[in-house]
Amino acid sequence: MEMDAVSQPELERIQRAGGADLVVGILDADHDGEPGAAVAMVREALAALCADLNRVARAVVLCNNGTQSPAAAPEAGSGGQPLTVFSYTLTAPGPAESPQRGISDAYRSVFGAAGKLEVRACGVIASHLAAVTPQWIYRLIQPALELDFDLVAPRYTRHKLEGLLNRSVLAPLHRALYGMQLQNPAGPDFGLSGKFLQRTLGPELGSLRGYERDPMASIAPTAASGGFRVCETHLGARSQPPTDWMNLSSLLATVLGPAFVEMERQAAFWQRIRGSSAVPAFGYPETASEDAGAMDVRRMLESFQLGTQGLRDVWGLILPPTTLLELRKLSRLPPDQFRMRDDLWVRIVYDFALGHRLRTISRDHLLRSITPLYLGWIASYALEMESAGPAEIEARIELLAKAYEVGKPYLVSRWRWPDRFNP
Amino acid sequence: MWDQVGQALNQSMNRMLSEMASLLPGAVALIAALLVSILVAWVLAAIVRRSLTKIDFDRRSAQWGFPALAEWAPAKSPTRLATRAIAWTVVLIGFLIGISAFDVALTSQFVIRLFAYLPNVLAAVVVLAAGSIVARFLARSVLIGAVNMNLQYARLLSAGVKWLVTVLAVAMALEHLSIGGGIIRLAFGILFGGIVLALALAVGLGSKELVSRSLDREVGKTSSLNMREPVGHL
Repeated sequence: MEMDAVSQPELERIQRAGGADLVVGILDADHDGEPGAAVAMVREALAALCADLNRVARAVVLCNNGTQSPAAAPEAGSGGQPLTVFSYTLTAPGPAESPQRGISDAYRSVFGAAGKLEVRACGVIASHLAAVTPQWIYRLIQPALELDFDLVAPRYTRHKLEGLLNRSVLAPLHRALYGMQLQNPAGPDFGLSGKFLQRTLGPELGSLRGYERDPMASIAPTAASGGFRVCETHLGARSQPPTDWMNLSSLLATVLGPAFVEMERQAAFWQRIRGSSAVPAFGYPETASEDAGAMDVRRMLESFQLGTQGLRDVWGLILPPTTLLELRKLSRLPPDQFRMRDDLWVRIVYDFALGHRLRTISRDHLLRSITPLYLGWIASYALEMESAGPAEIEARIELLAKAYEVGKPYLVSRWRWPDRFNP
Repeated sequence: MWDQVGQALNQSMNRMLSEMASLLPGAVALIAALLVSILVAWVLAAIVRRSLTKIDFDRRSAQWGFPALAEWAPAKSPTRLATRAIAWTVVLIGFLIGISAFDVALTSQFVIRLFAYLPNVLAAVVVLAAGSIVARFLARSVLIGAVNMNLQYARLLSAGVKWLVTVLAVAMALEHLSIGGGIIRLAFGILFGGIVLALALAVGLGSKELVSRSLDREVGKTSSLNMREPVGHL
């Protein structure tokens, strides 16, 4: 559902002033500091852009908890080029809305405003503002403005225990399906060109029984399937909120659900893709600071073992008997020998994606029941990478990504002929 | 005297024959109704069989929460079970219509009361089916939620919820069928209350230490995890 963050009279006022070149959305609603700090950061980034490109004159900033200053006065950019910034506040999410839903609506608001203003580029920052700098905004927008890239995806500096769902599912799945190697296909920070923005706002391609597209899940696949130019940009370290272990299943449901729905939408495209290729990357990778200690995996192993016993009937509706047998054997191994093979994990993800498509059981139940398996993967990864350095971790993740590509024929055959095998 | 005996026997025979003759039209109507209902049942069964085969009813019935249908269906085919049930229902209705043609007060009243009872039977079947689906859905929700919360008695909780809903549905179905009356209400109350009490005792008293350990583990691990494990998922 798109919300009008910028009212019609304000849109007309901006258009009378000559339109806008950029829209920047700052979606983090929990930032500390003064209300106008986010807007000030955007102004600093835009001033640098203005100086470099000499073509950016007017920008619209949409903030969560930002200040509302519709009558923003023109400011001088650092190169003397006048820079006008209009800033508005995004509509706050309702009390009953989940945080994920709130972010999706905020994305739609930013894209909607950018589409109406027919801007040349749009940047969205959804990460926690504690780690965001003006350079982030510059690096997300500059390739779209100057180098004719349509989608600028982020590349973060990560510790070995960060971005685990991304490393284990989202990134390698996107790579195997769409042939594009992105570290973070689901963002959450993106830069988009005006041309690509109009495509994301276009009519729904092959609507799936009323399911609304989630912007974060659909941006990268849409760029891949539409033949748009995609690049990555190094942004540095992100600030991550602490993991809420009690709501991990909700997180998995809200993240994996839209990814599987998008997979269903783009099925005609990804079934033809073989292999993958890297995309151009800009900026300089930073080395992660030292990791903060080892991980206690006992609870995760207990969850995995409990899931193997308690959820075998549910998993039996989704996974083939060979996979169930392997999981049962795995649950009996002592912690020092607990290793989940890549091909096993890949088949589990593919089978769950297929089960999601076929609605073998309620989709919410299906997504939540993957929680013990995911915890088992984390435990296996943490035990294997306990004393590994950054290079070894990247090599390990690369192996997992290759396993997704090698296992793709399994997915394609089951996707095309689901009745040939039915657990 | 023998003439009188013979006359009495003749009169009885005549009465009997005339009674039988008066039943003939009803018998013909009954046979005709049976033949028509058999024909209608055959046509209806063919239509239903084709429709159910098209939607793959045999496979979907297991997914919808009725795996036992395949076990007690002829040739393990729920489609065949449904088809035969519909066919025999139509034949039975035809038989009852044919019976009512005898124009005997007792049979007519019986048929009328039977037809008046049919909506109750249908409502009971719907309540049982809905109850089965709801029970299965809720049981699975509780099972997955409890496993994700690391509760060791997840299967017990799930079974308890399933039986609670099933007992409720059966009691409601029997209420619709007007079977048992007060005895069923009393039995339902005792059974339902017993299940709830058993679950409460299992969770509250019998597994006190287990729950306490589970909760301590959850609280301790949540706080300690936040301090010691810099895990991010996205």
